[in-house]
Amino acid sequence: MFERFFVREDSLRNVVKDGRVRGFCLAVKNANYRGVYLSLHNGYFLEVDGVNYPREAQSFAINGLPPRSFAEIARAVHEHWDYPDEGILHVACPGGLAPGRHRIRIQQSVLAAYGYRPTDEEWVRTPPVPGSGAGSDKAPDISEFMLELQGEEVVA
Amino acid sequence: MTITIRRGVSLYSFQQARFFGDMTLDDELAAVASFGATGVEIVDEMTLRYPDPGAAFVDHWHRRLAALGLTPVAMDVGMDVLQFRDHVMSHEECAERLRHDIRLARRLGFGVVRVLSVTPLDVMLRALPEAERQDIRLGREIHQPMTLEGPQVAEIIDWAEAQASDRLGIVPDLGIFQFRPSEAHLGWYRRKGAQEAACAAAIALSDLIRSGEAGSLFDMSRHTAGNVRADYRRFLTTGEAPEGLAPAFRAVKDWADRHVPAPQEVDYVVVGEALTFSNTRPETLRQIARHVTHVHGKFYEMSEIPGRPGQYHDASIDTEAAIGALKAGGFSGYVNSEYEGQRYYQDRTRAELMSEVEQVRRHQEMLARLIG
Repeated sequence: MFERFFVREDSLRNVVKDGRVRGFCLAVKNANYRGVYLSLHNGYFLEVDGVNYPREAQSFAINGLPPRSFAEIARAVHEHWDYPDEGILHVACPGGLAPGRHRIRIQQSVLAAYGYRPTDEEWVRTPPVPGSGAGSDKAPDISEFMLELQGEEVVA
Repeated sequence: MTITIRRGVSLYSFQQARFFGDMTLDDELAAVASFGATGVEIVDEMTLRYPDPGAAFVDHWHRRLAALGLTPVAMDVGMDVLQFRDHVMSHEECAERLRHDIRLARRLGFGVVRVLSVTPLDVMLRALPEAERQDIRLGREIHQPMTLEGPQVAEIIDWAEAQASDRLGIVPDLGIFQFRPSEAHLGWYRRKGAQEAACAAAIALSDLIRSGEAGSLFDMSRHTAGNVRADYRRFLTTGEAPEGLAPAFRAVKDWADRHVPAPQEVDYVVVGEALTFSNTRPETLRQIARHVTHVHGKFYEMSEIPGRPGQYHDASIDTEAAIGALKAGGFSGYVNSEYEGQRYYQDRTRAELMSEVEQVRRHQEMLARLIG
């Protein structure tokens, strides 16, 4: 579905906290045709200029709250990520990204599905690693974006 | 009883406009009314702020529908069983979510809640008292590659007849009358590098399965199309398949090996599309028409019928046979346009995407003509 469009192209920024560049961020939408309970959002396969940033380096800001780790997101079981809402994916990367254009390879994992699946128990124990194609429902392909760094985002 | 088939639109058809923010709800409703359609169906998690859209929204919704003369027909709900992440939801937990959705549907004036094809009957029955209190019918969708002849339909009809109740019913998705890959699908796979030989092999295998000559080997009727596609894709990379599916997956791969020179993964995937058709019978739809809550008029690509300017069809779906069966079976209610072909153009640029409004307009032309 919206693999080609779910990242906002003018959204790549370095993130500054307490005067230091802690990482970078970009804006994403749900690449499916509907929203989900936020807990089902399972993180991203993310590679920037050939460097992989695993889920543990990622956090996600949505619903007016500061960025939360995907371990915290998994506990947001009564909170909904409504379909129209853009979220901000934050990535820990001391020093941030250099100015200029960057090659981003990204795939979103949302554990939305049509009812019970043979993988359910396995995914409770061990959620699929984003990028494997599993746990990605309607947007299984890794997309590539060339994004220009837009400056800095200062966070509290 | 007067038999009246009415035309509606599922706002699912406008999912792309919704994603990009190109149309507001008001725009979508105005488009529906402009086609002369009178019914509206929604997907709760697509159209609404969920789980509570808020009193102001509900008020606005009722006022817009009244102003446009539109009827809220059905609300489609999901069943994401991993919501709690530390366990798989029990039937009772699924039923509790469904009870919520039933109350939400009532607030918005809908008469039917559509549940997924794979929703267990036990979940529906657990939510039944709430459906009765709210005067909501529960319709189980029958979606390709399921058939109308399978257990998913039989258990609903058995219950309805034993209880002499129409509280549970069936929502046939007319994709079950698709008999070959649509041009939307084939174009998508061609742009991904599929060979013409692979597209031809997909059509030939579809024809073979439809003819019945392949027997039950390719029977996917207990599965959903999305899951079949995902499982088949996983089979291609890992060689593993859920129980019972491996022989069919191997046979499809063999078919590709025999008909496609040096097949690549995308060639295997396009040939695998042949697994997603139901090959169900219009006669069965006629027989069960009184158990139909409403119909999803699924389509992928409306093109002009050669030699008939201004008249359109989806050349891969036998909608005419389906509407004929509904009429012959005495169905009264809504057939709602449900466009899904836009997603097979989303590998292209914004400017090259399909116009959902134009596609739905064409589908409504066809429905008006077939309903008569």
